[in-house]
Amino acid sequence: MNKNHNKLDLKQETLKKQPFGVPEGYFESFADRLQDRIREEESVKVPVRRLDSSTRFRVAIAAAVLGVALISYSIFRLTTTNSITNGDYLDMAVLEQMYVFDDEQSLYELIKGNTEELNEDEAFAAQAIDYLAVNDEAMVLLFE
Amino acid sequence: MPVWEDGEILKAIKVLGQEEAAFNQLVQKYQERLYWHIRKIVISHDDADDVLQNTMIKVWKSIGNFRSESGLFTWLYRIATNESLTFLKQKKKRSMGNWEDFEHMISETLESDQWFNGDEIQMKLQQAILKLPEKQRIVFNMKYFDEVKYEKMSEILGTSVGALKASYHHAVKKIEAMLGDD
Repeated sequence: MNKNHNKLDLKQETLKKQPFGVPEGYFESFADRLQDRIREEESVKVPVRRLDSSTRFRVAIAAAVLGVALISYSIFRLTTTNSITNGDYLDMAVLEQMYVFDDEQSLYELIKGNTEELNEDEAFAAQAIDYLAVNDEAMVLLFE
Repeated sequence: MPVWEDGEILKAIKVLGQEEAAFNQLVQKYQERLYWHIRKIVISHDDADDVLQNTMIKVWKSIGNFRSESGLFTWLYRIATNESLTFLKQKKKRSMGNWEDFEHMISETLESDQWFNGDEIQMKLQQAILKLPEKQRIVFNMKYFDEVKYEKMSEILGTSVGALKASYHHAVKKIEAMLGDD
């Protein structure tokens, strides 16, 4: 640091001189180092293609149309197919609970509502229903 | 190598295959001015290098959304200022356990900076500037060293011209008082 004992006055032009320095060749090599860092960062991340505003607008319109179509189709399907009512789910829940607590009795017998001895065909059907009853999707079949 | 106009850079940067060359032009054209602006805020060369890289990476990532209403340099200056302030905030947070006084720490950074080439008076001036609140410090540096016009500064910092003038006036008074005490 140079020694300069003059009184400090902000109007002095010498004070406005840049007092900081940089290592030799810093600015010459900066762009290359920056490019290396950008490449490094981009190789880590999945490259995202920037879309211009008109393409973004078209993509947004397409997404909106697709969304409306999907919602409409879902509503159409819900209103035209035989859906399971809340009552059906309640019945299924009661049956499942009874089945859990009374594993001596077949679910088939519970549905049929009798406790008489089953013949060979009925016994097979009962086994099949019991097997299917392990999941909800299979239970739905019982009510269709 | 001829220096490209801002308009040429902005046009080429949006063309597939030309974006790297155009961005390189932007870096070459503005790196020094941005570096000195950042350096006066963060003081150490290593920190200034980090902040300049972060600034340029932010520019690279967001230049596709740049609207030309404000000039390119105004926009770059704004990003560099924000990056510098964010950097100082993070550094302040990190240093809480080790330094009671962040101002003291940054002042020590200045004294031990091997890349400070100024004389004793310049050192005293820098020490006094470091005692100013951050935003007042930026206003003082931009006006005193870089001679940026208040209107331009207002665009960069998003502060009214009147407030900037007042801020600079207060900064000058404080610095004169601090240097008068020495």
